[in-house]
Amino acid sequence: MDLTTILQQLVNGISLGSLYGLVAIGYTMVYGVIRLINFAHGDIMMVGMYFAVTGIVAMFLPWWAAFLLSMVATALLGVLVDRLAYKPLRNASRISALITAIGVSFFLENLFLVVFGGVPKAFPVPSVFGGVINVNGVIFPNIAIITPIIAIAFLLILLFILHKTKYGMAMRALSFDMETVRIMGVNVDMIISIVFAIGSFLAAVGGIFWAMRYPAINPLIGIMPGLKAFAAAVLGGIGSVMGAAVGGFVIGLSEILIVALFPPLAGYKDAFAFLFLIFVLLFKPTGIMGEDLERGRF
Amino acid sequence: MNKKTILTVLSVVLLFLFLWYGDGHLSTYAMRIWEEVGIFLMLAASYNLINGVTGQFSLEPNGFVAIGAYVTAILILTPAQKEAMFIITPMVPWLQNLHMSFFPALIIGGLVTAFVGFLLGFPVFRVRGDYLAIVTLGFGLTIRVVSNNTVPITNGALGLKGLPTYTTIWWCWGWAVFAMIVIMRMVNSEFGRAMKAVRDDEDAAIAMGINTFWIKMTAFITAAFFEGVGGGLLASLITIISPTMFTFFLTFELLIIIVVGGLGSMTGTALATIVVIWGSEILRVVEQPMDIFGLHIPGIPGMRMVVFSVLLILIMIFAREGIMGQKEFSWDSLFNFFKKNKVAQK
Amino acid sequence: MNIALKCDKITMKFGGLTAVNEFSAEIREHMIFGLIGPNGAGKTTAFNVITGNLKPTSGDVNFFGKSIVGLKPYKIVSMGMARTFQNIRLFSNLTVLENILTGFHHKLQYNIVDTVLRTPRYYKHEKEMRNTARELLKSVGLLDKADLKASGLPYGERREVEIARALATGPKLLLLDEPAAGMNPQETLNLMYFIQEVKESFNLTVFLIEHDMKFVMNLCETIAVLDHGVKIAEGNPEEIQKNPDVIRAYLGDIDA
Repeated sequence: MDLTTILQQLVNGISLGSLYGLVAIGYTMVYGVIRLINFAHGDIMMVGMYFAVTGIVAMFLPWWAAFLLSMVATALLGVLVDRLAYKPLRNASRISALITAIGVSFFLENLFLVVFGGVPKAFPVPSVFGGVINVNGVIFPNIAIITPIIAIAFLLILLFILHKTKYGMAMRALSFDMETVRIMGVNVDMIISIVFAIGSFLAAVGGIFWAMRYPAINPLIGIMPGLKAFAAAVLGGIGSVMGAAVGGFVIGLSEILIVALFPPLAGYKDAFAFLFLIFVLLFKPTGIMGEDLERGRF
Repeated sequence: MNKKTILTVLSVVLLFLFLWYGDGHLSTYAMRIWEEVGIFLMLAASYNLINGVTGQFSLEPNGFVAIGAYVTAILILTPAQKEAMFIITPMVPWLQNLHMSFFPALIIGGLVTAFVGFLLGFPVFRVRGDYLAIVTLGFGLTIRVVSNNTVPITNGALGLKGLPTYTTIWWCWGWAVFAMIVIMRMVNSEFGRAMKAVRDDEDAAIAMGINTFWIKMTAFITAAFFEGVGGGLLASLITIISPTMFTFFLTFELLIIIVVGGLGSMTGTALATIVVIWGSEILRVVEQPMDIFGLHIPGIPGMRMVVFSVLLILIMIFAREGIMGQKEFSWDSLFNFFKKNKVAQK
Repeated sequence: MNIALKCDKITMKFGGLTAVNEFSAEIREHMIFGLIGPNGAGKTTAFNVITGNLKPTSGDVNFFGKSIVGLKPYKIVSMGMARTFQNIRLFSNLTVLENILTGFHHKLQYNIVDTVLRTPRYYKHEKEMRNTARELLKSVGLLDKADLKASGLPYGERREVEIARALATGPKLLLLDEPAAGMNPQETLNLMYFIQEVKESFNLTVFLIEHDMKFVMNLCETIAVLDHGVKIAEGNPEEIQKNPDVIRAYLGDIDA
């Protein structure tokens, strides 16, 4: 493999990894505040893609308006899912909430199958993201360069919110001890809603960029990236936002590099996330950022 | 034998009499559904052992059933059949020539699945947290990727066809009753108490000197064994298997069964299996085109799944206990029920 | 007198926070030893280290002459150490009798094959365990509650069942984490007699954590005081009551 290919694959891996990272943040934040694995998170990402397509194709919006609308609508969907399905189970056993989460996941998948059918739909990629860029003779797709920049920008904004705003501090406090925060007069339900909104918003961002990377979408498309993003969240230390981002990069890069180095394994690409998850549980169950979890989350 | 044991044996005999009668008199379609009910009863009881009794949320069934199905299928296909079927890549020779009758094939299918259960449970149960669900969910997806790619073993996307149809109503219900006996005996022993202890409070269970790791493993591996056998039975019932056949819908159906029946209740599971499997057949209506008051509604394929998932969410929010809660049906409670009614009538 | 439990400079750090700092104590056999201290002093953390739920950052725990650091908690239970929890943690969906039975788990004498085949061995030992459990319940005066669901009992009785369940594991040392927490004065008094009784009839060593000063002063022979993870005093109840450091730690607590 020559240097050009290595460079291309590296950028490709970082780009894929930043998508996993964006989705992983939603898993990790929801887990942080209500200790729930939100199985529907991957499907929320899928819904974000369909919202964007609908905006462009059916509502004839300019791409940026459609994307923005999709992100906001998906954020609202996340809040709605929490309010309708998860909130009534806040004090029930953990298994009830988990079963409901899988129910929501299956519901979204099948609702969209009924509405849009199982045949993959073309995602209209705006021309800004479609082309390639030539850096000193090495060619990269635009999207591979833009994705990580967008992802890092959103990560920085999120870290700012978490550490510098009142709501962010409430979120971090919530992950320690919900009861104390409640007693202190914070509207816990609202904070949880904001967490779902942020997570789902970022899932929509991840979904839209995923769809521009692989521009054919179907209602089951969220499952695999969702699983890999979860593996990323565990790898990073579930509950840690930085960890989720780092975990996403590690998983995305390894996936691309393993396939690049051992082409016969390409068919098993989707099995890697699973193996990663097993290895993390075996050797580093607290995750990369796990040490800090006793003191502070996010 | 005491009176209650006799009653239990009698009702099992009655069940088999019904099946025997049905075998001669009911339609092939109806008997096919009753065969499915038998297999699903075994699957659901196993699934409830890990989810309801031990309280470890898991999504393993479709992956484990797939393993059992593949192993059994490979073992019961004749070498000639396999040679004819593996047209892209020939099968690995030692599997090519392996051939045996149905019963040992089912047992091996179950044992291989149990071993996979061990391999999965080992990393997961060493750490606290709800990782079992996501790992088993991932496993179900991974087994599809693997069976698609290991062409010399599974024939890849082409799948395995023309399996001998050994599965009869007797195989299905024989295994179902056997699985129920084994699982209920397990639940009604110190092992079952330990499993429930882990479910109710894991820290306290550890403080009682319970090796919670092995208790979870015991439940999970037992469930895996019966799910493997169930996969074998299904394979020979359907006669065709392919990587895309055992989807998450199978797991979802079982999840609905154990939730409807009551997490932790085996008799509830039995009742719910009949209700859900037959209900699911009746629900096919929503996917057929229909005319209501002159209004034509075209069939909506996939609508059943939407209904199912809404149903599951609603049950979890409004009727978490299911039919039986964690209680079991017992003859005593039935007698008491009648006694009370009599008193009430007077 | 033998030493039942010896804590040798146990230190437990979480990240940058030191929850327990070089805690040492010797607990002689057949005594009731109390560990007190303001909220957040690290008492429960010390317990979790002793029971093996936490691995100490440094230091050693010696149980009847054997170091038990690094052993799995269930292993330590089978060596004869049992505990209760601050917020009573019964198996709420099991009956009182079944709760007690779980305590015999670590010395279970039938295996999974016996269970499935219902061998004579299964019936014999299952019957034995049930009889022993009933005897145990009888000796602590809870036999009439045997078949009730644990979650249905009143608070004071739930605590007694929890202690009885711990006794079922056959302990030499019983660790009680704030047994009187949440109890009214009458219940507290009953509990005090209860603990004294079981200590005598089961020939136990008792190590308890308590927030309620009066409870500890009346029950314990030796008391150690923990503040911010550091042991600031140890002695008999009179000595502890007069100790200026202890008074300061507690007054400071009230202040805050």
